[in-house]
Amino acid sequence: MKEGLIQQFEGYGEVARDIEVCRKYGIDYTLEKGSVEKFINRLHPGRMTLRVADIIEETPLDGTLRLVPEDGYLPPFQAGQYITVSLETGNIRTSRPYSIASPPNQTGYYDITVRRVKDGLVSHHLLDGVKRGDVLICSGPAGNFYHNPLIHDRSMVCIAGGSGITPFMSMIQEIVDCGLDREVFLFYGSRTLEEVIFFSRLEAIAGRFPNIHFHPVIEAPPEEYEGLKGLVEGRFIRDVVGDPAGKTFFICGPQGMYDFCVPEIENLGIPRKKIRTEAYAPAAPVSNQPGWPENISPDDRFEIRIKDGKVFSARAGEPLLMSLEKEGIFVPSECRSGQCSRCRVKIISGKVFQPTGTPVRRSDRRYGYVHSCVSYPLEDLEILI
Amino acid sequence: MSDYDVIVVGAGNGGLGAAVTLSRKGLKTLLLERHTVPGGSATTFCRGRFEFEVALHQLSGIGTPDNRGPLWNSLKKLDVLDDLEFIEMKDLNRIVIPGVLDITLSTDLSSVMEELGERFPREKDAVSRFFKLVYSYAFELYSYFTNPAAGADAVPLVKRYAFKTAQQVLDEFFEDPVLKAVFGAYWGFLGLTPNRLPFSYLAILFFSFIEMKPCHIMGGSQALSNALVNKFISHGGTVRFNCAVNRILVKNGSVAGVETGEGDEITARYVVSNASKVSTYVELLDREHVPDEFLKEMSIKTPSPSGFCVYLGLDCEPEEIGITAATNTVMNSADLSDNQYNRMRALDFDADTDMAGFSCYDVADSRFSSEGACQVSLLTLKYADPWLRLPPTRYYAEKYRCADAMLTLMEKVCPGVRDHIEEVEVATPLTFMRYLATPYGSVYGFNQYAKDSLFMEHSRETPVEGLVLAGGWITDCGFETTIKSGISAAGTIMRSLGAER
Repeated sequence: MKEGLIQQFEGYGEVARDIEVCRKYGIDYTLEKGSVEKFINRLHPGRMTLRVADIIEETPLDGTLRLVPEDGYLPPFQAGQYITVSLETGNIRTSRPYSIASPPNQTGYYDITVRRVKDGLVSHHLLDGVKRGDVLICSGPAGNFYHNPLIHDRSMVCIAGGSGITPFMSMIQEIVDCGLDREVFLFYGSRTLEEVIFFSRLEAIAGRFPNIHFHPVIEAPPEEYEGLKGLVEGRFIRDVVGDPAGKTFFICGPQGMYDFCVPEIENLGIPRKKIRTEAYAPAAPVSNQPGWPENISPDDRFEIRIKDGKVFSARAGEPLLMSLEKEGIFVPSECRSGQCSRCRVKIISGKVFQPTGTPVRRSDRRYGYVHSCVSYPLEDLEILI
Repeated sequence: MSDYDVIVVGAGNGGLGAAVTLSRKGLKTLLLERHTVPGGSATTFCRGRFEFEVALHQLSGIGTPDNRGPLWNSLKKLDVLDDLEFIEMKDLNRIVIPGVLDITLSTDLSSVMEELGERFPREKDAVSRFFKLVYSYAFELYSYFTNPAAGADAVPLVKRYAFKTAQQVLDEFFEDPVLKAVFGAYWGFLGLTPNRLPFSYLAILFFSFIEMKPCHIMGGSQALSNALVNKFISHGGTVRFNCAVNRILVKNGSVAGVETGEGDEITARYVVSNASKVSTYVELLDREHVPDEFLKEMSIKTPSPSGFCVYLGLDCEPEEIGITAATNTVMNSADLSDNQYNRMRALDFDADTDMAGFSCYDVADSRFSSEGACQVSLLTLKYADPWLRLPPTRYYAEKYRCADAMLTLMEKVCPGVRDHIEEVEVATPLTFMRYLATPYGSVYGFNQYAKDSLFMEHSRETPVEGLVLAGGWITDCGFETTIKSGISAAGTIMRSLGAER
């Protein structure tokens, strides 16, 4: 009936002609089958198959895996971003994020540098179990720890701890390779001199490029050591950098380093928004975190009941994600430090501990969704995956 | 026996509207979403101490306590009203042409007419005649769609204006191009410049916003998506996140289920696809199940623009940098012709010719961000094409160059904004493409030229029995309509089941 009406509307003839023309010369959408995925994969592949081309021993503790793409293509990324390696070790399907240490101006390979973690599950597997020629399944590059030219100063004060040097290696290499107009003051905290990753490379770069300044800070140095000793203190920064105003601070390292360095930097009069920190999972034992209930020990165990699924017991001090993985329950994960919400699950009943500042959407909190990589059971739980 | 009565592909507004309705009717329903969180466009993300709203600028159709709108009624049907808090916005839009115009329109009709009359005294009468037309036209539209039997002569305004563009009508009423631009500024919500946009959509927008007031949702649009998922689960529905669908399975001409990204086959008697119509017909269904006529019908439609959006977390209150309205449009000139349309097809953003809108929800409700902070979403419409041609290695540099130019434009209204940025995230057309999986990253479904507009008979029929579509690609775009499309999709299934019995 409406069809009959619109023909009486002013201008109908023209609209009808439009339709006729478009039917003749319109878009053949079938020609674009698969194009959305192809375009997106050039930048943000969900999954990459990478082959280990080389394994480079960096220090007694660290090794670099050089990864090349099976299909010949690696997406560009922003220096400082990470990839997540998915793997199965000891019958546990899990994943770990590693910052890309190689610079983004070449995408022939990605380097990831792995530090051996005492009692670690994955680091030993990657350093001892993986051989040249093996294949690793990885996520596309992700993460928010990079120099953003919209808001970050051209002068960067970078503070690294241990294997936290990797994002800075990528940034520094990019700056010198591409001649970017940026200045870097790198303070690299390490327990011993031997454990400083990329020492000779960093020294060589700093020797050649006046905009790169390299200052290792050694906790337990040899007796004759003349460089900076101890922890990365605010006064070291002031002495080297001079006026810290107009500079953006970047920190990447273990949790202890943030706990120590952020207040040190703030004491220099630097506002919080000028201090960018890479995401990190809480250091074990989690019971040292502020807000952890006194009456619960990390070794307490609680019953986890998955709705319409398995029931098992989990340690309070272990992230829920890890406990699930150990039970053979796969939950996709990426950053494993509470940021990306990939491992989001719903807590139907029971309480979990979440470190303060974990960025969970307000409405997620309301309906009990948590990021399971930084959630620790404090009671028996029923959860929905 | 099928695994499920219904599988809903996609947890956008359309998929959620369908899933909640179906599960409430007792149907065994599975909702599959490829992303980690529900919502599609209706979502938020966190950076630092900010939770950024992705898509919602002004919610239409909620209405006021004594005049409830269509969206309110939809949400009532879905039984989520108790879970949501709506914040009425005081202003319609602040429109700025630096050096020429800076006007804030309120949401009250007589005030809007007064504000415009003051700024454009010579056209005061024209303004009131125009609003009279908008209102009469909206009422006629209502009678046209509810009582078509009355014939074309019962709706003389519809008969006259249905196929006119917004620009044709503005030209008929007004002299001053600046005044025309004030009315035309809202084209950004609709995807076509006024010289291409059917007048109907502009009229409906003004009528709806003034009569029913624009709103925001506490907690952002994610609060809506999460409330709907929660309701779905409480009705016994099953939801799986991180679960893409590769194919819709067909047996003997009828829907049989879906194949997931992991290769699992799940069977169902009905499938609701909240994927774009293009993806549904081209990617999800095998070619042999889509007769040529369906592709022909789709071929006359063009994908709407995508967006370029800069999300800003600021370490100050809105007024400190001169933000006085929740919704703002900044233009460099009153020219909203094809000059502006063509800029959507360019990769770059030109701070001296292009236009952008920005929303600061904290003006409507100070609880939106933490104390001493506010957030801004700065948006311009862009087609994805030039971004698709860009070598990936240049992607990040271009993204920051465009975002920087957007900030330069915003500084014309908010000087000093750059000094207050604590967090920033940039979304390009490729970002929208990545998260929405729509062709060309379109954010408004198909473009709505007169030939695609509400008057044309949109067939709800799909090529496969038991397959029903929902979402912005089969209806006018926006929260109000997409949610309704989901409820309608559920209705189609319920009717089909009823007929069977």
